[in-house]
Amino acid sequence: MAMIPLSELLIWSLAGVLFGSLISWIPGFHIFNIMALLVAVFGVGELMPVQAFPFFAIGAIVAYAYVSAISSVYFSVADESAVFLLFPTQRYLLLGRGHEAVLLYLIGAVAGTLVLVLGALFIFPRVLPPIYQATSPYITYFLVAIVVFMFMSEWPKEGDRGRTPAERLWLAWRQILGGILVFFLSGILGFIVMNTNLLPTTSAYTRLTPMFIGFFGMSWVILNILSNPPMLEQVPDDKVESSVYNTLKATFGGALGGTIAAVYPIITGGMGALVAGHMTSQRGDDAFIISQGVNRVIYYVGAFTLLFLPQLRLTRGAAAWLVSSIYTPKSYAEYLAAIGVILLSAGISFLFTYYLSKFIAKSFNVVHIKKLSYVVAVTLVVISYLLTGPMGIAVLLVSTAIGMMAAAFNTRRSYCLGGLILPVLISMTGHTGYFMHLLGLG
Amino acid sequence: MRGFTHYISGLAAATFFAALVGDLRLGILIPVIAAAAAYFPDFVDFKFGKFLARRDYEIDPAPWDEKKHYAPKLVKISELSEKNRYQFFAVEGTVEEILVRGSGKVTYKVLREDGSEETVTENYNSIVFTLNDGTGKITVEAFGDDYEFFEEEFGKIEEGKEMLVFGYVDVEEDGSLKLVVSDAPHPQGIADTIARAIEEAYREGERIVKIHNIRLPGDVYRRFWVHLDPPRREVRVEMGPIVTPGGVAIGGDVPEYRKYGIAKVSVPFIKTYPKPTRIDSFSGPEIAFRKAEFRGKTVVKDRFLPWHHGFSHSLTMGIIIGLVVFAFFKLIGYEHATELALASMIGQWLHVFEDQLGFMGSNLLPPITKDVIPGFKLGESGSGLTNFSTAWLMIAFMIWNFNRFTEPRPIPISDAKLLLYLIWPSIIGFGIAIVRSFKLRKEISELMDYYTNLEAFEELEEVGGI
Repeated sequence: MAMIPLSELLIWSLAGVLFGSLISWIPGFHIFNIMALLVAVFGVGELMPVQAFPFFAIGAIVAYAYVSAISSVYFSVADESAVFLLFPTQRYLLLGRGHEAVLLYLIGAVAGTLVLVLGALFIFPRVLPPIYQATSPYITYFLVAIVVFMFMSEWPKEGDRGRTPAERLWLAWRQILGGILVFFLSGILGFIVMNTNLLPTTSAYTRLTPMFIGFFGMSWVILNILSNPPMLEQVPDDKVESSVYNTLKATFGGALGGTIAAVYPIITGGMGALVAGHMTSQRGDDAFIISQGVNRVIYYVGAFTLLFLPQLRLTRGAAAWLVSSIYTPKSYAEYLAAIGVILLSAGISFLFTYYLSKFIAKSFNVVHIKKLSYVVAVTLVVISYLLTGPMGIAVLLVSTAIGMMAAAFNTRRSYCLGGLILPVLISMTGHTGYFMHLLGLG
Repeated sequence: MRGFTHYISGLAAATFFAALVGDLRLGILIPVIAAAAAYFPDFVDFKFGKFLARRDYEIDPAPWDEKKHYAPKLVKISELSEKNRYQFFAVEGTVEEILVRGSGKVTYKVLREDGSEETVTENYNSIVFTLNDGTGKITVEAFGDDYEFFEEEFGKIEEGKEMLVFGYVDVEEDGSLKLVVSDAPHPQGIADTIARAIEEAYREGERIVKIHNIRLPGDVYRRFWVHLDPPRREVRVEMGPIVTPGGVAIGGDVPEYRKYGIAKVSVPFIKTYPKPTRIDSFSGPEIAFRKAEFRGKTVVKDRFLPWHHGFSHSLTMGIIIGLVVFAFFKLIGYEHATELALASMIGQWLHVFEDQLGFMGSNLLPPITKDVIPGFKLGESGSGLTNFSTAWLMIAFMIWNFNRFTEPRPIPISDAKLLLYLIWPSIIGFGIAIVRSFKLRKEISELMDYYTNLEAFEELEEVGGI
């Protein structure tokens, strides 16, 4: 199949940016879920030429990597008594500096885009294939290593103030054991969803969607509803407090974490950031937010770009799987066109995010987050139902409960990734049958 | 060094054994044990040792509200006693009687940057009243900047008004308690307790002090510094601004008149690290004060995090780990138990060696050796440069080993050339770290020479202390 004309390619890319921009600021919405819904409901061949779909997707993913800063800064507000540790973005919001947090994120996103584009043009085609070839047989080693490290390095937040050594030890280990429990519960749910016909087989690649909506989207939205956070006045000034050194250090760390997550399967952006954060010994809220911008652009967009890389053509991330099931780009011209689309989409997404942030900062306390959260919660239920039917709602409920357990134990939310990691590890090591038997499923 | 740096060293150690690499290629993931072994010393210290360690003094300048997990703790007046002096609390009650409204002059000492003291006198407005919460009553006093803030917050204070007051507890001359309106504890309590611990350590041998941090609403922290000043025989505590966990100051500087706490120490002591201890986010430190011989004189030395870098950080522990791993995996029939045991031991040894590059040092081969061997002072444990250089070196080793143990080689160049291509960022990083470390080592050496000739030590000699 030949590449579509440039004018058409641009139109579909811009349509992707528009689509991504319009939905990515809504809390709990993930571009992968909405794209899956789009394909499931409308189908691609009817809506657009199949060769245009990768470019539509890349526009939407770039927009998501930029615009989702809005939801994570403004719509993840927290009542400080509801959660133990706030994310730096939440803290900025509580200080009335939400717009500054968005600007820091955008600095990171732009830096990430530049690193990605330069890397894609000059480094990836030469360096990635041999390194990947040398290390890819050991992916399970890296994956297990990161999971074990997550458990071993969990920082006990509460043990310090117990009255006796035994009480201190219990308070510390309550959180660590809570994290392990969340990981294995998520893993069992993921194993059941992947290996049984609990969800209709017609759902195919959207089978995991309700589970992930529950782990990360719905639990976040419900926390917003339960915590009744304050809607504090925000300063819409274009001012950031950081330094060139912090920006460069954060860019380096974010790029390292994003690249690890983009190249190796199952390793997510958060896991990559954990590894890179330790490697570069990152400290400082401004540096953290900037590195998040870099990391998310490279993780989401970079991973998808690998699908275009002619010598490697790696399918990384749900969007790449979705797209590759319809059309896989084949030529070097498409690879170069994709890099151009990334730059164009990044420019538009930057402006969209900037002006949307300014608008929201000025009108932040007009609508309470609770009202928006109710609407989003209903929408997430509807999406789950449309994609996977009534059992999808059941999976959504269970995964939401597990996602909220992570918050209740003050542990890492990323332990919910057990829902993906555990079944994949069981499968990769050839133990699926054993575990089916152990769980009484076969 | 940071945890992941040690961990990845263990991952890399396993890849030096062709048998283990072969297992990994077959999906046998047991070699990850070597990484766990490399991280083991910190796991034991930070998940067990820290919580089980003895605490002779526990300094909690601002106890947490048990439900909200931040300060100030809302307390009943009847719960307060002299033991709470200088601690930061909240009390809710009704204004019973206005005792004094007025103005006057306040005199206090401030510290200049060079360490000298300056006496400052300022005009102030004040109010003193009694607050009753049903369990008892307490005198509340607001003056200076705190009075201005108090008036802004509550308007005119009248009898019968209900209010929530924040402040630190103080003791009047007659022994009665009062609450001084403030937004932080008074640092004097921290300084007094540390000074007492140093003096007791000189007499008894060792005292361990746990200093808690000050967590405030919104996941922010009140930063404070503890300066141990051997030449002046003083412990000085300075209350700083409110900071985020990432260390960004967001304001909230305290007024000069309650910024410093100074306590005199009657015995000689030395500080082994040339910077004040900063306490803010995550958790406060434990410091052991130990009686020690220093260049022929008896002094008290500080040891930061005394539960850290103990037996877990010795080469002996590495041997034990190797033996346990060998025994266990041999028992379950793992074919490459010997290689795994060696990789685990080397992983743990790499941890010990990497930490030896920093400041704290370890007792390397107990029970044969008895004393801690000081670190090489190449950089602080949190240094981005040394952590990255080490972690990158380990990644390079892994790629290199994976390549040389695979036929045909995925990267078809000579081993030496590939290694050189991979490790140059680490070589540059370590080079910069070594150059930087010379300056710091010189500073510490000068400080130690200075201590040796201190008058502060000689004085005590005259009264028979040394």
